[in-house]
Amino acid sequence: MLAEILSALVAVATFQNLLIMAAGIWGGVIVGAIPGMTGTMAVTLALPFTFYMDPVPSILLLVALYKGSTYGGSVSAILIKTPGTASAACTALDGYPLAKQGKAGKALNMALYSSVIGDFLSNLSLIFFAAPLAALALHIGPPEFFMLMLFALTTVAGVSGSSLLLGMVAAALGLLLATVGEDMYGSFRFAFMPDMQAGLSIAPVLIGLFALPELIKLIVMRAAKTEEAAALGAQHVTRAEFMGSLRSILKGSVIGSILGAIPGIGPSSAAFFSYGEAQRSSKNGANFGKGELEGIAASESANNGACGATMIPLLALGVPGDVITGVMLGAFMIQGLTPGPLLFQTNMHEIYMLLIGMLVSSVLLFFAGKITMRMFSKVAHIPQTLLTPLVLLLCIFGIYSIASSTFDVAVLLVMGVVGFGMFLLNIPAAPFLIAFILGPMIEENLRRALAISRGDPAVLLSSPITWVFAALIVFVVSLTIRREITKHKERRVEQ
Amino acid sequence: MTKPVLRGVLIVAFFALCAFVLVPAFVPRPAFIPGFAPPPDMWPRTVSIVGVVLGALAIFLALRGGQPVEEKVETDGSSVPQMLLRFAGIIAIFVLFFAVVPYVGFLIATMFLTLAMVLMTGERHYRIWIALLSFGGPVLLVLFFHSALGTQFPKGELAKLFGF
Repeated sequence: MLAEILSALVAVATFQNLLIMAAGIWGGVIVGAIPGMTGTMAVTLALPFTFYMDPVPSILLLVALYKGSTYGGSVSAILIKTPGTASAACTALDGYPLAKQGKAGKALNMALYSSVIGDFLSNLSLIFFAAPLAALALHIGPPEFFMLMLFALTTVAGVSGSSLLLGMVAAALGLLLATVGEDMYGSFRFAFMPDMQAGLSIAPVLIGLFALPELIKLIVMRAAKTEEAAALGAQHVTRAEFMGSLRSILKGSVIGSILGAIPGIGPSSAAFFSYGEAQRSSKNGANFGKGELEGIAASESANNGACGATMIPLLALGVPGDVITGVMLGAFMIQGLTPGPLLFQTNMHEIYMLLIGMLVSSVLLFFAGKITMRMFSKVAHIPQTLLTPLVLLLCIFGIYSIASSTFDVAVLLVMGVVGFGMFLLNIPAAPFLIAFILGPMIEENLRRALAISRGDPAVLLSSPITWVFAALIVFVVSLTIRREITKHKERRVEQ
Repeated sequence: MTKPVLRGVLIVAFFALCAFVLVPAFVPRPAFIPGFAPPPDMWPRTVSIVGVVLGALAIFLALRGGQPVEEKVETDGSSVPQMLLRFAGIIAIFVLFFAVVPYVGFLIATMFLTLAMVLMTGERHYRIWIALLSFGGPVLLVLFFHSALGTQFPKGELAKLFGF
């Protein structure tokens, strides 16, 4: 094992790999710092470029973008009170008041330190927990996989958007779209034109769904925000300030690692949970929301702490925990690697390379954050009216270059319009995308399970593992419905 | 009709269309299926029917007032017809883009698509940046993808006529 780790270390420690990771981290930080641009966009925009790279560097690039953008989201949150990513929303609560007090540099530094620590601890959890989970997963067959994926889909549907019902509708739309193309018996489903016989590619669907609606919204509604960025001011976090926040950083890292490992939760929920917990337990709780460094520490350690952990279900079970790992699942498949327990048997060298690369990227995040900190206040000023058309341009060229197909570009634009329609109808996009990616696997496992059981649907509840997942599905659905009913009652009382 | 009810109706209509029209017409069943394996239309039909049920539930909840709070959509204060016109403009430009690619080529088509999109956002300041983005951006991307990845972009009949 030690020999394998050393061999992977040598393979990772090439100039090319370090450059790719540094570029990914740096690019992710910049994208995350720009309001309106998300880590999902960064990862999806980079996807076409990974087609021409080796498997491990390509995944490391996407992981680096993910981590960089998660930290980068805190920059615009602190400087202009506009979170670059949803997971940085809590950071804005204390970061912007600090920036207004002339302590933007201090807030950015605390965000960076917390992000790096959270990220590093999260990567360690990935190293320790992914392999045992994968070993356990080797004992599960098609019915268990079907129930597991159904659980992942239910969880994503439950936590995305404002309603479980609409999340499930989005998932059903994604599952249906995933059936387009040739099925396992050579039947062409919904092949309205010859280009559709091969099915719809993942890249144009997901880029169209996430990147283009922003442009369409901007054109149709024209509600761009233009807040001025605050000056950086005092830079350093003192030892006392850091030690005062250390408990919240460690707690946030653990919360992020646990919640990140549960499919569908992701960095945003982890950040909110950690912020709430820090506010409850801190002696400075009353100062939260008014410019408390500990608030930034709690939020940022948890959202970056979730990054590495979201790779646990992806690598071990082949189940993406959120949209970005959904994209990464696509990237793995494009590279001919199928995440899941077998990956730990057939591609152990690549797994070690990936894990080591992720640890290295935590260190790179620190340097990228430090080097680019001063530049951020300028990046955050790029007008949306120029930025979003630029994104469209990059999307069109990137998608066309994947397969030299104008059909893929058409899919991209159509999915942009679909994404805008879903936004208008309040139907969340995340369950749609996860379902589109998981759809073929869900269907294949269901059909295999039914074929094995001679068509008896009872096979889906035939083992203790399927029962556990069924119970978890019922639990998640009940919890979400209960939460929605409580919210509904609160609204009625307010009215 | 309120928005939640309309949403439910649209969901039911879409999934019903899939279940009862598109699946029977566009999902052919092979003459022989080995063993007890389910046919190709089983999964899309099941998902569509589940979609119809979810849509019906959405209508039921909308009528009972049990739907989630609709997020407020921020606008510049334009009227609905104005916004519809802008949306129709986007669709028209997308369609036009595909219509002109075979004639003017990918490069020129993307230049005009980008310019149209920037202007449609209402941006009229940063004129040099708009020009650089619309005309310089596609040229740089063509050069990058062509030289780095060897991508061949459609040249178009008109470009060929001029010897490009």
